[in-house]
Amino acid sequence: MKEGLLLVLFLIALTSLCDTINQLFLKSAIDSLNFTPTLNIIKIFKFIFQLIIKPRLWLGFVFSLISLGVWLVVLSKADLNFAFSADSMHYIFIALASRFVLKEKMGSWRWLGTGLIVVGIVFVSLS
Amino acid sequence: MFKKKVTLKILLLLIASDILETAVHFFFKKSTLSASQGQVTDLASAAVFFKVVFSSPFLWAGLLTVATVFILWSLILSKIDLSVAVPVASFSYILVPLVSIIFLQEKITAFRWLGVFFVLAGVILVSLSSKERMVQNK
Repeated sequence: MKEGLLLVLFLIALTSLCDTINQLFLKSAIDSLNFTPTLNIIKIFKFIFQLIIKPRLWLGFVFSLISLGVWLVVLSKADLNFAFSADSMHYIFIALASRFVLKEKMGSWRWLGTGLIVVGIVFVSLS
Repeated sequence: MFKKKVTLKILLLLIASDILETAVHFFFKKSTLSASQGQVTDLASAAVFFKVVFSSPFLWAGLLTVATVFILWSLILSKIDLSVAVPVASFSYILVPLVSIIFLQEKITAFRWLGVFFVLAGVILVSLSSKERMVQNK
């Protein structure tokens, strides 16, 4: 599978990227509703209803479908144990997107954790 | 604000979500094995591939399990903090390779296990730091 390794890594990056875009749309849709956590069932249902009529949510859903499709292609080409570990590269995309798109603050521990994930993926890919 | 106490009930829910999460990936992998003859190289072969995969009961079992994990996970997070739940749930990073060896006859080198532990350590660090951020926001 050596020659296919780059292709598989590219496809895993693609599925992780689609997943990240889905998360960004979801986050943006939820943030726009200003919902505070509550145990009130009526408020929860009202929140879910307001959420599912957001076009952004469905745009995210389309990306999650693409992500699933690409993921299935990945699994047809690679071992599960490799694909599963390598798929944690979505942590990297989520970290970058949180920092640069959502302008969230990232502590040094989180950067260190993301760095360890990168090292892990490199090790898993090389073996 | 922080719910940290892991009761036996929550621990059992977390273990259940670990096992189900692992099952999801096993089911998806199984569904693609039924289409192992058709490698995806272009659009036409992709259509054939998805037709075979989506007619596999394993795929639908996987999707059903995804929905179950989602409900279970929402339940868990309503009872316990994310920075506590994720490290326990990351146990699937160990379970998936084990399932791959036992049920899918995959081979895993020592070097790859080392990589798995790096990823696991990274995921745990990222989730532990969620607490730090929420404290700063207060």
